[in-house]
Amino acid sequence: MNRQYKTGEIQTGKPAQRVPWLEWLAAGIGLFLVLGVFGVIGWQAFHGATTPPVITVQVENVAPVEGGYRVLFRARNGAGEAAAQVEVEGKVSADGGEEVSRVVLDYIPGHSARRGGLFFTRDPRTGALAVRATGFAEP
Amino acid sequence: MTSERYAIGLTRAFGGAILFGLPLLMTMEMWSLGFAMGRGRLLLLMGFTLAVLVGLSYFSGFEKTFSLKEDAMDAFAAFGVGVITSALLLVALAVITFDMGWGEIVGRVALQSVPASIGAMLGRKQLGAEQDMKAEEERKQEAGYAGELFLMLAGALFLAFNMAPTEEMILIAFQMTPWHALALGVFSLLLLHAFVYSIGFSGQESRPEGGTFLSTFLHFTMAGYGIALLVSLYVLWSFGRTDGVAVAEIANMLVVLGFPASLGAATARLVV
Repeated sequence: MNRQYKTGEIQTGKPAQRVPWLEWLAAGIGLFLVLGVFGVIGWQAFHGATTPPVITVQVENVAPVEGGYRVLFRARNGAGEAAAQVEVEGKVSADGGEEVSRVVLDYIPGHSARRGGLFFTRDPRTGALAVRATGFAEP
Repeated sequence: MTSERYAIGLTRAFGGAILFGLPLLMTMEMWSLGFAMGRGRLLLLMGFTLAVLVGLSYFSGFEKTFSLKEDAMDAFAAFGVGVITSALLLVALAVITFDMGWGEIVGRVALQSVPASIGAMLGRKQLGAEQDMKAEEERKQEAGYAGELFLMLAGALFLAFNMAPTEEMILIAFQMTPWHALALGVFSLLLLHAFVYSIGFSGQESRPEGGTFLSTFLHFTMAGYGIALLVSLYVLWSFGRTDGVAVAEIANMLVVLGFPASLGAATARLVV
């Protein structure tokens, strides 16, 4: 009613009331971002965003530090769903004994990786080192 | 309306996006929800936000609008401002780093852009000096009862969204007895009614001829509380808080979140 009338007024009459170029630019950038964000999220929705977590752990670096040895690892979630409270356990079998260290990573999002570290007193480089994820919770 | 004036409005929008988005920007749960919540639900939430932005633009955008096209353009602009502000601040706070996957980055920015873009839309009203109050009041009069309900919904959404991501909402619901929940529900209703009555929700309409206590209560207070509860349910569902939870426990959560939501519904008219 009132609005329609006003719209007509703009279209027929006053060129001074035209939409400024900056408004086109701002709205255009906004529309571009809407499409981008919706596109990425939508793409995820149809590409395995609901497959439960699969976590693989890769040792990246072993170094002697004060009081023992430090193992840096990278835990990667290869599936779409995020994992919470991922427990990573490392086991060193050396010098005729075993040593187990654990750490909990708060979150690993889908198709993403998180880094962490474990400490040992035995040298992981002289024996067998096995690092794996032992479990997770749904966020 | 020139580009210069529009630029001033845009600057205020950025200010609003920072101001209104700040509490959630520094809320830990928002970061993990960005990648952990269901993609379908996130998409739906973004769509819902865009629709609310179009409605808010009609009542109080960063410029006076005359058509649906302009409202949509304003909504997109506000969304753009929200996304850009969120992305920049999340990077500055090291919540987003560039060794993250794209899905994670976009998820975090998308979720954060919900409060930020609503803030961008409200920025003009809240930070602006020359407000066209008369035109706004006209709009609110014109829109009538449906408009009032929409404003209550927008207010409820904003405040509920600000609280819902936190772990505390669930914890409070868990530790409350049914008596606590009932008391909080009644208190929410009383508060909502007091606001509706004292602020005079729709000018003429709150004091119609024969506008008894009961009719105001039913028309605005009950309707408002209903909207607050529905919005709370929607937001909780979006964040996956209701999955596999017993109905009684969900009811508790609704009352807990319904408290800020009804406060948002009651004060929407002040903010919008």
